[in-house]
Amino acid sequence: MKADLSPRMRTALYGLMCVLLIPFVFPTWWMVTSSIKPISDIFAFPPQLIPQSYDWTTYSKVFELQPFVRQYWNSAYIAALVTVGTMIVSSMAGYAFARIKFPYANTIFMIVLLGLLIPSEVTIVPLFQMFLKAGMVNTHWPLILVPIFGAPSVFATFVMRQFFVTLPAELEDAARVDGLGRFKIFRKIALPLARPALASVAIFTFLHSWNLFLEPIVFLSSAEMFTLPQALTQYTDAYGGPMWNIQLAAATLTALPVLIVFVIAQKHFVEGLAHTGLKG
Amino acid sequence: MAKVNLSDIRKSYGAVKTIHGVDLDIRDGEFVVLVGPSGCGKSTLLRMIAGLETITDGTLKIGDRKVNDLDPKDRDIAMVFQSYALYPHMTVATNMGFSLEHRGGSKAEITERVNWAAGILGLTNLLDRYPRQLSGGQRQRVAMGRAIVRNPQVFLFDEPLSNLDAKLRVVMRGEIKALHHKLKTTTIYVTHDQVEAMTMADRIVVLNGGRVEQIGAPLDLYDRPVNRFVAGFIGSPSMNFLTGTITQRGFQTSGVVLPLATSTNTIVGQAAVYGIRPEHFRLNDHPGLASVPAEIMLIEPMGSETQVTMRLGDVQVIGVFRERINGAPGDVMHVLPEIGAVHLFSEDGTTRLN
Repeated sequence: MKADLSPRMRTALYGLMCVLLIPFVFPTWWMVTSSIKPISDIFAFPPQLIPQSYDWTTYSKVFELQPFVRQYWNSAYIAALVTVGTMIVSSMAGYAFARIKFPYANTIFMIVLLGLLIPSEVTIVPLFQMFLKAGMVNTHWPLILVPIFGAPSVFATFVMRQFFVTLPAELEDAARVDGLGRFKIFRKIALPLARPALASVAIFTFLHSWNLFLEPIVFLSSAEMFTLPQALTQYTDAYGGPMWNIQLAAATLTALPVLIVFVIAQKHFVEGLAHTGLKG
Repeated sequence: MAKVNLSDIRKSYGAVKTIHGVDLDIRDGEFVVLVGPSGCGKSTLLRMIAGLETITDGTLKIGDRKVNDLDPKDRDIAMVFQSYALYPHMTVATNMGFSLEHRGGSKAEITERVNWAAGILGLTNLLDRYPRQLSGGQRQRVAMGRAIVRNPQVFLFDEPLSNLDAKLRVVMRGEIKALHHKLKTTTIYVTHDQVEAMTMADRIVVLNGGRVEQIGAPLDLYDRPVNRFVAGFIGSPSMNFLTGTITQRGFQTSGVVLPLATSTNTIVGQAAVYGIRPEHFRLNDHPGLASVPAEIMLIEPMGSETQVTMRLGDVQVIGVFRERINGAPGDVMHVLPEIGAVHLFSEDGTTRLN
């Protein structure tokens, strides 16, 4: 493709991409630079794209005002559990829907898919009542169980199913002749080959859990239990107004692992987008 | 090694019947080829023997065991697939040793068997490669290696050469045959290519529409096909068929009379199909009573032989001659069908008359 472009076309294309870059890069730039500006400089006019003076104490205040390390850990371990759990559930469910013939398989799959169409705001109240009865409010269980067995996992199941459908049936026939049963075929043949699809499921699930906002504010009430997106809202002054520079410093720290993961796994990330046929 | 016995084997998917009762006795160490056009049920039959498809009715025995309800792994068979079905994430050595590993073989034993198979198939240098790093022929050999490593009672091949180019196909054909000669394992081989069937088989089973049309040694099928389907399927270019009536003078077809052996006098007056293979026409420079005028339509010199598309009366036929023929489309030459090589079939093609 690249070789086909004339120099003029290429310049135009790069120009266009630079313009498109602005709405993506600017907010990140603003977040990072504002986190080290004194609060008075944030709303200075004309806006300072490059900070004139630096205030690094914002970062230490992030940790003073909230149990931020604890909250970081909460987000991290919840996201890790959800990611691993979703990978297990979605790969097995996806494999079953793709490969095992059982009565009404397609109908059941359609019903499961319907779960994707229901916004989480609709189900949050009944879910809250359910977890309240189970004594799980203000614990992390709802944030772990709902994504693994709920709508986010349905999306992952869909991605895995689409992958397993394309896996050549002869590979499984060969494995059966070689002496493998259904579960071993899944574990030894299908799963290792599904690595690209699993990687995209892992990335999307991790991001989804890391960024989850509605569920934590519904289910959690003590600062010790908070996850990061929820903790960000807590950097307020005595009047409830946001402390912008500290909040943006916390936001920067929150976004950091995601940015690092993205840079490292960029290839998988793009492949993941291609796999799902959807935008993130 | 074992004999394989199929007795009234049937397969249906719901109301749709695909295999209509196949009886077949495969001897210990025999190389049997199942051949037929697409959709004739040959692959289904092979997969039923492998245990990958259930058997609706009938009895399947491998050795003296009835195996109808056994899992593929308990049937002591090995199968080579059309797409080779090598595990992409495993090396050649792991691919070949995979089944032994799952049957609880010791590491030393697996290595020994894999090295033995790799030695036979010339794969010793490739054991650490992945399937994607191999050529088509090499993949094919690995697939065979995976099959022989276990020393099964029966080898099953499902169109193993159809993904290779023509030249490599001929080479691999020879290798499979040589392998069979060396190991003498009972082999069932499915193909749609009648040349493969002719060159490799001890016996050929011709299938059509889920039924066995004929079972026999390759040359028996070639020389004495029992019906028009087998006659047309075996041989390339395929047999010429002319419809007409048996008369005292010979076979009366549109515009010409073709010679017949006197033994057919008993069925004079019967409508029939006259079959003659392309190589059973002779050139006859002295037009006489027995020879037939043929208008040349196309001459295709092959070097060793010449293929001529010509018109006998109103019917277009193909002749293959050892001679080089100088002629042009439109010219008339005289040909003589070999009386002894004529096949007569009933008008509907289902039975042989001579």
